[in-house]
Amino acid sequence: MSDDELAKDLGLLSALAIGMGTMIGAGIFVLPGAAAQEAGPIVVASFVIGGAIAMVNALAVSELGTAMPKAGGGYYYVNRGLGPLFGSISGMGDWMGLAFASAFYCIGFGGYLTDLLAGTVLALPTLEFGLVALTDIQLGALIAGLLFVGVNYMGAKETGGVQTVIVTVLLGILTVFAATGFLHFDWGTLTTDGLAPTEQGYGAILPGTALVFVSFLGYAKIATVAEELKNPGRNLPIAVIGSVAVVTAIYAVLVGTMVGIVPWHSLDDSVPVSQVAEITFAGIPVLDAVGVTLISLAAMLATASSANASILSSARINFAMGRDKIVTDKLNEIHPTYATPYRSILLTGSVIVVFIAALGQDLEILAKAASVLHLIVYGLMNLALIAFRQADVPDYDPDFRVPFYPVTPIVGAVLSFGLIGFMNPIEIGLSLAFVAVAVLWYALYARSKTPRQGVLGQYVLDRSDAMPDIAVSAASAASPDAADEHRVMVPLSNPRTERHLVSLASTLAAERDGIVHAVHIVQVPDQTPLDRGAERIDTESEKLLEQAREHAAAHDVEIETTTIASHRSVEEVFDAARQYDDDQVVMGWGGDRPWSVGRAEQPLDELARDLPCDFLVLKDRGYDPSRILLPTAGGPDSDLSAEIARTLRSATGASIDLLHVVDDESEREAGEAFLTEWAADHDIGDAVLTVDTSGDIEGAIAREAAGETLVVIGATERGLLSRLVRGSLVFDVVDDLECSVLLAERPTKRSLRERLFGRSKE
Amino acid sequence: MERSLFETVLVPIANERDAEATCRAILREIGDGDATLHVVHVIEKAGGAPDKAGVEQRREFADRIFDRVDTALATEPIPLETAVLYGTDVATAILEHADRLDATSIMFTPRGASRWKKLLSGDVAQKLLSNTDRPLVILPPGDTDE
Repeated sequence: MSDDELAKDLGLLSALAIGMGTMIGAGIFVLPGAAAQEAGPIVVASFVIGGAIAMVNALAVSELGTAMPKAGGGYYYVNRGLGPLFGSISGMGDWMGLAFASAFYCIGFGGYLTDLLAGTVLALPTLEFGLVALTDIQLGALIAGLLFVGVNYMGAKETGGVQTVIVTVLLGILTVFAATGFLHFDWGTLTTDGLAPTEQGYGAILPGTALVFVSFLGYAKIATVAEELKNPGRNLPIAVIGSVAVVTAIYAVLVGTMVGIVPWHSLDDSVPVSQVAEITFAGIPVLDAVGVTLISLAAMLATASSANASILSSARINFAMGRDKIVTDKLNEIHPTYATPYRSILLTGSVIVVFIAALGQDLEILAKAASVLHLIVYGLMNLALIAFRQADVPDYDPDFRVPFYPVTPIVGAVLSFGLIGFMNPIEIGLSLAFVAVAVLWYALYARSKTPRQGVLGQYVLDRSDAMPDIAVSAASAASPDAADEHRVMVPLSNPRTERHLVSLASTLAAERDGIVHAVHIVQVPDQTPLDRGAERIDTESEKLLEQAREHAAAHDVEIETTTIASHRSVEEVFDAARQYDDDQVVMGWGGDRPWSVGRAEQPLDELARDLPCDFLVLKDRGYDPSRILLPTAGGPDSDLSAEIARTLRSATGASIDLLHVVDDESEREAGEAFLTEWAADHDIGDAVLTVDTSGDIEGAIAREAAGETLVVIGATERGLLSRLVRGSLVFDVVDDLECSVLLAERPTKRSLRERLFGRSKE
Repeated sequence: MERSLFETVLVPIANERDAEATCRAILREIGDGDATLHVVHVIEKAGGAPDKAGVEQRREFADRIFDRVDTALATEPIPLETAVLYGTDVATAILEHADRLDATSIMFTPRGASRWKKLLSGDVAQKLLSNTDRPLVILPPGDTDE
């Protein structure tokens, strides 16, 4: 088994247990009372509609989760899809949403704990310290909160079956409850005042949904641990969709039973399930004695597992945000003894404690704030899904696709944002404040740090001509600063000859305020372990990179250095360019460079067809870009060579001579017209234009190159690199010239995906 | 034929501080022998529940440990291999790996944690001691920078 498979140990059952265990929590044990009082018996519809909204979003989560099984879930998809501005909103939203939800679960726990201990010597007191008052429920909630945070901080070992056992026990108890309830169910109780007896009538359904939606938070948490799932392509959709379906059904039955036993207006608004159980368990042996205690324990078990899962997944979100530098990565330090992300857990824990203490007296605010923030994330997630589909990102290849695209994600976004409208002003205000803080956070902190551009922003900026101006300026205004950084990679091998390469790379980088990325690829013979090779060569590598640093410093360019030990050489250049998101690679050619030996394990055609970025290959006979010859026949690769020549001219004041070769004198006029237009198009209209009518490209280049210092050739045919590695250059003439030659090749489809997705390690 | 304890040495390392203390201790003891070091970090899996920290997060942590080891041993001519192991039980994962490598010994420095901490984080050293099928070499951590 590969390492990756060993790391994946969550089966379908575990994933379902996580989803259901997180959802079945305080929502169903606490809210039916308050919701029934607000909406009447029709509250059952509120729950079912909540389930339906959750289901539409579950489809989107399934598609995004199978496309990107990464830690972080909703945050990760939104950040990749819509960019770091919305990424910041969804990250903060998801994180704080979880903190609100956890505080809510803790209050639910506290309620049942207080109920359980009432009348015993352990009964929780109500505390008052001057202005600050804590109810007994809040006290219970604080104890619970500290306990859950402590458990996650120390990572007390939770072995495989526990979650599954908890969910099974919960379902068992709830089944007993529903079964006994069935015997007491009375349609008359349910319809005594009509189905929708409140002032708003049926209009109370959606506000009811807004209140109880918190009961459905949890299905998306399966996606935050997607990297641990076995066969995520299959198990993730089944677990996410399945857990929503099962939980919705359970809620409908339970709530229907409850309002059919206790009249809707008398349902207890803190421990309704216990209240109903007292009636239904009466007279049944054993249950009569322990039933209500059993319900209290079940409620506490359910809220504990919800809170626990929420705290755990908030740490995953922090990790994903830290990796994208939306928050500082220091937050994600691992504890040396407990191996837990303890700082993240402590911070989230503190927020939860503050929420319990400050807002814990009003359960509804906690529940709805959690819902609003999650709904914002769900809405954005649906939009991200649309962005991925529309931008047609090559690496976006989900195993599960939402049906009826684009209707489903549009409906998902509308429902998610729409439900927020049914909240109270205070919850909406509180949540908007969080969004504002997130936007500010992005503008003031994250924007200068994060290197990630979203699919949407890239899509708009790539089509800036076709897009409305306002969209383009909005996209560029929201773009992260760091993503624009132009990175020029230089693979180095030999200290004597690499100075010219570094100089060229520095010039190219400096013109765009970019950085040079010097990479020493140490080729290690197959029979030598990599670590060993790296060790031996360490000093040499350090010396080489130190020289590169000096050269770059002379050009006043920032430089980053990397040493890679590898059994391969050319492939490693490609991999490194991908991994580090480099925009250009400047390679040397010839001499004793390992990639000149013509040895590669992967078929090179395959490699060269999939260039990670622009490739520039220098046949080095000194670096002096003062007089540049630029032969062109048009085409995308000559675009690149024109760009390079222009950059060199702007940096060094070089002169540019353009050369176009046609077959005979009759084509001269057409050739001149082409060249003039081409030069104007590429912003080098003032270059000296030469049209050669010999029809002999190589001869023409040889003739014109006399007196020039650098020839820049765009590889007009595919596969420049594969030819290079086989030892045959594009033109033999390159070998005969006296000046340096720079060959330029641009990937056919500039592969955005590397920048968008990074490169996964698998 | 007699095999030296130092021939194929498995070195489990739990965190970055351990990495340095252990490397120092090994360098003190190992001398000029022909030792090959196999440094491993075990990522404890929950085996059916979500892990304490994400897998990628733990892998990055492991990479930092290996970097420390690399740095500490950079100037020494000691062959070094590193690996990340996964297992629901840290001690078992170490012993299984030792078996695969046919390691001549398992070397580590005690972490000196309090009983309370050991109870919570699982006493790996104790489990190794009780279940090992090959020599365990426990190195004194020596002067730590604490």
